[in-house]
Amino acid sequence: MNLLVSLGTVNADTWKTVGIVAGILGALALLIVSLILIVGKVFKVDMDEKVTHILENLAGANCGGCGCSGCAGFASKLASGEGDLSACHVTSPEKKAEIAAILGIELKDEERTVAVVKCNGGLANAPEAFVYMGNPTCAGNASMLGGNKVCKFGCLGCGDCKNVCPESAIKISDKLSEVDPDRCISCGSCINACPKKIIERIPASAPVYCACSSKCRGKDVMNACKVGCIGCGMCAKKCPQGAITMVDNLPVFDYSKCTGCKTCVAACPRHIIVDRDAKAEEQSKGDKDEKEAKTA
Amino acid sequence: MGTLIAIILAAVLTNNFITVKTYGICPFLGVSKNTKSALGMGVAVTIVMAIAVAVTYPVYNYLMKIPSISWWNFQFLEIIVFIFIIASLVQMLEAIIRKLSPSLYNAMGIYLPLITTNCAVLGVCELVIGDMSGIIGSGFVMNFGWAVLYALFSGIGFTLVMLIMSGLREKLNCCKVSKSLAGFPISMITASFICMAFMVFTYIV
Repeated sequence: MNLLVSLGTVNADTWKTVGIVAGILGALALLIVSLILIVGKVFKVDMDEKVTHILENLAGANCGGCGCSGCAGFASKLASGEGDLSACHVTSPEKKAEIAAILGIELKDEERTVAVVKCNGGLANAPEAFVYMGNPTCAGNASMLGGNKVCKFGCLGCGDCKNVCPESAIKISDKLSEVDPDRCISCGSCINACPKKIIERIPASAPVYCACSSKCRGKDVMNACKVGCIGCGMCAKKCPQGAITMVDNLPVFDYSKCTGCKTCVAACPRHIIVDRDAKAEEQSKGDKDEKEAKTA
Repeated sequence: MGTLIAIILAAVLTNNFITVKTYGICPFLGVSKNTKSALGMGVAVTIVMAIAVAVTYPVYNYLMKIPSISWWNFQFLEIIVFIFIIASLVQMLEAIIRKLSPSLYNAMGIYLPLITTNCAVLGVCELVIGDMSGIIGSGFVMNFGWAVLYALFSGIGFTLVMLIMSGLREKLNCCKVSKSLAGFPISMITASFICMAFMVFTYIV
């Protein structure tokens, strides 16, 4: 009843107005719909069906690890033939095979990769040049004279990589970060987050890697870190497969040639080429000890 | 010339859409995490604001009221008609940009659909058809040109505040914020400080 009162006297004029308003809105809706349809027709873009199919098969994590803005961007890049399928590390191999079938290319046999921190300079090995008291992030630390360690290539240990890791695979101990290879999904978040760019992908089955990123000359490395690579090249000389080359005073491994003989591990005078099997064993043993200590 | 300066100052500073009128808060808080996306959103809003006013102003003044026909006066339908027009305009604009300039579409494509229901765009359309003498000065007479100019500079003011906010939020990422304030709360505090800073401009026009 209140509604009727608020309308005032309802007479023929009121109904006339209501009718005209309904007519105007109806006409406007029709006009706009037809305009949108016409514009849509005139400015039609040929959407590639390939892109939608590829997008359906991608993991949809939108992690940005491939360098594109998201999975949609990567899909259109793939469809145009520019992108490389191996740039995505999250999509499962089965889905990748389907995408390869859509694209009509052959899927390269690729194996799982994991991220490793190429530094072994914890507080015990690599001394600090000064005490950093700013924001406790690597980015903040690195912005001040390139970080507070004497070595300008080393891990700062403030945990920017740990904070972005979606799988909690990174732990920091003694101001040095370390990736758990069993948990790592190789998404690349930590690689992008690290201001020192010392995190790299290696094949999951790689037997060895060099835990140093310093490109300095041997003498400078000696002063900065107890476990730095001095670029002597012993590993490259001793490797029976010729899988190691020296670039910028650092060994570079060609894992397709590596047979896992571990000659380089024994040859290195600074003991910085990491035997990953031995390390994993040590790790599991350490975990066990920890558990026993806890139960005891 | 005086009117031009008054309009620019009023639109960008004294009556800034975000900080003074508190319109368009959703993109202000949602799309201001990094400078690049804030700029994209700001440019998209600026373009849509100018075009929306260029369409709705003549529709309101010349189509919805015809002086020679006494009963043809439907200016009370402004809001629903404006919403219709803006929403469809954004749809058409998206299709056109997609066809004519794929690079521009990629740069601001995802922000355009978000603007469909942006209150800042509807706000500027409503503002320019009303009495503006309180904002720009007594004796000001609105016409089509001034209306579009006001909308354009409102959009630029919007972009300005978006850029300030995104820059501050990027800086905040490098700072240690106490746990209870981290994330959204500290953004709200940042926003309130920006709004207070804009109060300085209140009486310059």
